[in-house]
Amino acid sequence: MRITAAEKQATRGRIVDSARELFRTRGFDATTTRDIARAAGIAAGTLFNYFDSKEAVVVTLAAEGLARARAEFTDRDAGGSLEEDLFALISAELRQIKPLRKFIAPVLETALSPLACADRAGNHEALRVDHLELVAEIARRHDLAEIPPMALEAYWALYTGVLAFWASDKSSKQEDTLALLDQSINMFAGWLNSAAGTPR
Amino acid sequence: MAPQLAELIAALPETDAAAPAAVHAGLPDLLSRSSQRPIPIGRFQRLSALGTLQAKIGAAYLFHWLRGWFKSADENKRLLAEAHWKTAVRVLDSMSYLRGAVMKIGQTLANFPDIAPREFIETLDRLHFDAPPMHWSLLREMVHNELGDDPENLFESFEKQAFAAASLGQVHRARLKTGEEVAVKIQYPGIARAIESDFRNLFLFMMPARLSRDWENTKDQLEDLQRRLAQEADYVLEADNQRKARALFRDEDGIVVPRVFPQYSTSRILTMERLEGTHLREYVARNPSQAERNEVALKLLTSWYRMMYAGRMHYIDMHPGNYLVLEDGRLGLLDFGFIISLEGEEWELFRKVDRPLTTGRREDRIAVLKEWNEIRDDETDRLRLIDEFGAWCWMARYRGGVYGFDDEAEFRHGIDLFTEMLRKRYSRGRPNTPAMARGHFAWRALMYLLKAKVDIRSLAEREVKATGWDRSDYAPSP
Repeated sequence: MRITAAEKQATRGRIVDSARELFRTRGFDATTTRDIARAAGIAAGTLFNYFDSKEAVVVTLAAEGLARARAEFTDRDAGGSLEEDLFALISAELRQIKPLRKFIAPVLETALSPLACADRAGNHEALRVDHLELVAEIARRHDLAEIPPMALEAYWALYTGVLAFWASDKSSKQEDTLALLDQSINMFAGWLNSAAGTPR
Repeated sequence: MAPQLAELIAALPETDAAAPAAVHAGLPDLLSRSSQRPIPIGRFQRLSALGTLQAKIGAAYLFHWLRGWFKSADENKRLLAEAHWKTAVRVLDSMSYLRGAVMKIGQTLANFPDIAPREFIETLDRLHFDAPPMHWSLLREMVHNELGDDPENLFESFEKQAFAAASLGQVHRARLKTGEEVAVKIQYPGIARAIESDFRNLFLFMMPARLSRDWENTKDQLEDLQRRLAQEADYVLEADNQRKARALFRDEDGIVVPRVFPQYSTSRILTMERLEGTHLREYVARNPSQAERNEVALKLLTSWYRMMYAGRMHYIDMHPGNYLVLEDGRLGLLDFGFIISLEGEEWELFRKVDRPLTTGRREDRIAVLKEWNEIRDDETDRLRLIDEFGAWCWMARYRGGVYGFDDEAEFRHGIDLFTEMLRKRYSRGRPNTPAMARGHFAWRALMYLLKAKVDIRSLAEREVKATGWDRSDYAPSP
């Protein structure tokens, strides 16, 4: 029997939705791929036609959240300083992926970390590229020229560092992450501005 | 560089017109050298050289005392102290998240009109109201985190620009959906724990200093600051204090404590009724009549005594920025971030103070001061000085009748006594003594600012009744 692209897409969607719900209700560790398959109404083995692992499902969930956050950020009238706009982008992302916070570690390890991206061969490159393109766009909006590749590397290390800190932030309502994010962005924006010769 | 600190640095006198020319000649060189080397304050030098944040907090606070010590020293030393101050301010400027702590020190200094130069105090007063805000994106996240939604959804309107700096945060104007005009005080994320951990490290780093003679005093001052910052970081506690204080006043008192809106308040956000009025220093600058100033002074003291006797709360922050004269003449009280609660043993001691406050007899005063400050029999100079300061603080009350707080020589005498106490490090005693001493000094400074001429004895007699104390063997019959 041939499966159409639309059916494939629908099955994929069911898997992701089931996983989201199971992670939310049972937690990441207590959920197996078998549980996800059952909830999605497919055979256990079929799931692996779509995702290599449970972690890969989380990466997809995170990617969806991050994309929603970028869209929300783009729709919103930014209009703040460079620091403020960057802060708004990342905080919008954190809000969207907050339900995944406790099991975001695999996403960081497999998809986002600078180490994971070193070979740039994975399917997760889009996550990185999409975010960095928006950062470059924000910088242009603030009259900064193209951000040099090395500066983007440094930015990415900072960004993923903040995410890693957030994943294990034990402060009340992760307020320490907000402080770290604010200070990291100030540092990066200060650097970009001084490199561009903009008086601060 | 944060503008308020730039202003602060700019306001520090480069030179002093009264100083000898020889000192002036060396000053630029001195300043440039002092800005390059670690802050030269003896054993703290090692800490500063490490460039640790905790050393800087300690240094900032110690400079506050240093200024007092050098005030009565010769001109040369005083200028040196000022150069050090300047360096300290620059160092502190690198620590944006400590803005709150720096501002607190500033406000404390502003209470000591003649210890710090006038320009400096005026700058500090501005600092209190003009600090730049956290940007809107960060603020939004704080509100969302704390109250569960964005400010634009929670409030009818919310001003993006802060209208005042607050302890460890900033204040925004807003309107509730139910129509009330409010002030929303928002704390910097994570600042409370950051400061707490800095203090822990500071005490660790200072282990070697424990053997020195000054350790106890230094420790007292730092613990005082630590206690204060910890209290101020807890907006839940502040809201409780504010509610408690609000309940103490009736319409006829003409004193208003802003109402707290608990559904919009957490440990990091405090939403309260917004009062519109004139801050005390600005009010005085408009040259109100003697009668008007007396009226404000009486309300100010009524509020202080009411909180003390009926509320068992010692309101320490008697800073001009914490009082508003409203259009209708009422007095608004702001900022309940630092209150010493008078309970248990402290309340009993406080009760004992009532006797010398009422009789004015030296032997009554000595007995209480010895107990309160834990003064040994062989500490004759300490006892003499504290007694003189006590007499200065309490005289207006036990003498009765209209007291002129406008006497500059008399006020200066109090400053000299207070400065000497700091210089000789006599302010130690019970854990709250440094704060209490500040509070006592502060109310006199406010009375002097208002150049008030009022009878505070009759006012105090009225308020002290709330305690229900048996005063039959020393108090005048009602």
